[in-house]
Amino acid sequence: MGLVMGALAMTTNSNDSHEERTSRSAQAREDALLVEETLAGNQLSFQLLVERYQERLFALARHYTKNPVEIEDVVQESFLKAFRRLDTFHHQSSFYTWIYRIATNTILDFLKRRGRSPIQSVEDPEVLARPEPTDGFAPNVNIEREEIAEVTHKVLAELPDIFRTVLVMREFEERSYQEIADVLGISIGTVESRLFRARARFRERLTKDFPEFSPGGDA
Amino acid sequence: MKNSNDFTCDEARALVPAYLDGELSADRASPLRQHLMECADCRTKTQAHKAQRHWFVPTPEVSVPDGFAARVARRAFQGDTGEAPVTAEPLAPILPFVLRMTAAAAALLLVLSGVIRAVDVPTGGQLRADDGATMSLEEALNRLEAMDNGEGRPSEGLDR
Repeated sequence: MGLVMGALAMTTNSNDSHEERTSRSAQAREDALLVEETLAGNQLSFQLLVERYQERLFALARHYTKNPVEIEDVVQESFLKAFRRLDTFHHQSSFYTWIYRIATNTILDFLKRRGRSPIQSVEDPEVLARPEPTDGFAPNVNIEREEIAEVTHKVLAELPDIFRTVLVMREFEERSYQEIADVLGISIGTVESRLFRARARFRERLTKDFPEFSPGGDA
Repeated sequence: MKNSNDFTCDEARALVPAYLDGELSADRASPLRQHLMECADCRTKTQAHKAQRHWFVPTPEVSVPDGFAARVARRAFQGDTGEAPVTAEPLAPILPFVLRMTAAAAALLLVLSGVIRAVDVPTGGQLRADDGATMSLEEALNRLEAMDNGEGRPSEGLDR
């Protein structure tokens, strides 16, 4: 009974439909069963758990590194860590929230071990050649999507981990403040203030590392 | 600047990001909206916040390699801890160690040189193993005999 109630104690948004909540409940029950079977020694059950969440973790890792080998390595390491700690998963949160937390920490540890890549883009002629700085902080419409992504990831790579993490979760993954709070184990108020500071820091680094994008006025 | 309901610009600007994220409750969003309608500066700042979001374009999808889940499950049940290999800079982990060892060796040499200086060791002429002249065995023996008989000693500075 405790297992089911705990599995149901997930992030809910007051705007969620009944169908969405029902779907999440069903998923939570299935996850709980797969965890139980894995702990009982069923390898296939663990494989099914991995299959359920592998794409999302690959997408998460992609926000931190473009290297496909590194992405695969950190996601694999995340799942293996989750397997070793599976007996500590008490269904207080959803399985995805739990493994997302493990994956985020694993990725950040990996980046620390590897060492951050130096910013190259300041000397990147492709970027410097772009004309017309923008008003506000929006990228110039003439800059292609890939270049925007490149600039953004380079700026993010220079931010402290606590800021980078919340920006990735909010801006790329569109997680609610509650979900971010659940994953990081912090309050919603802290999420709000951390995001505020993270966005300010992002603006500062963007202006410093890519001065051609400096806005006309203070934002 | 304060407007009619005492909602300051500082208060408004602090709430704008959460408002744009759709995270403000109705009772907090309503006065903010009212303020934004009345304050052009804050509206400008709000536009800047919205513009910044355009930097966060969706990341290209990553395809999961075939058989990934099966491999991971197999490794997990084989007891693999899964520490990912780190493609670190080849010198990065070694260089600090080398520098520390070099500094330690330099310090040790400094200490040893100080110790050596402090020790009273004979130098220069005192270390001569011979008097510089080549002598035959017969001559050496004659000299020794003379020394035994108390005749002049080859060494200098001794009072007799």
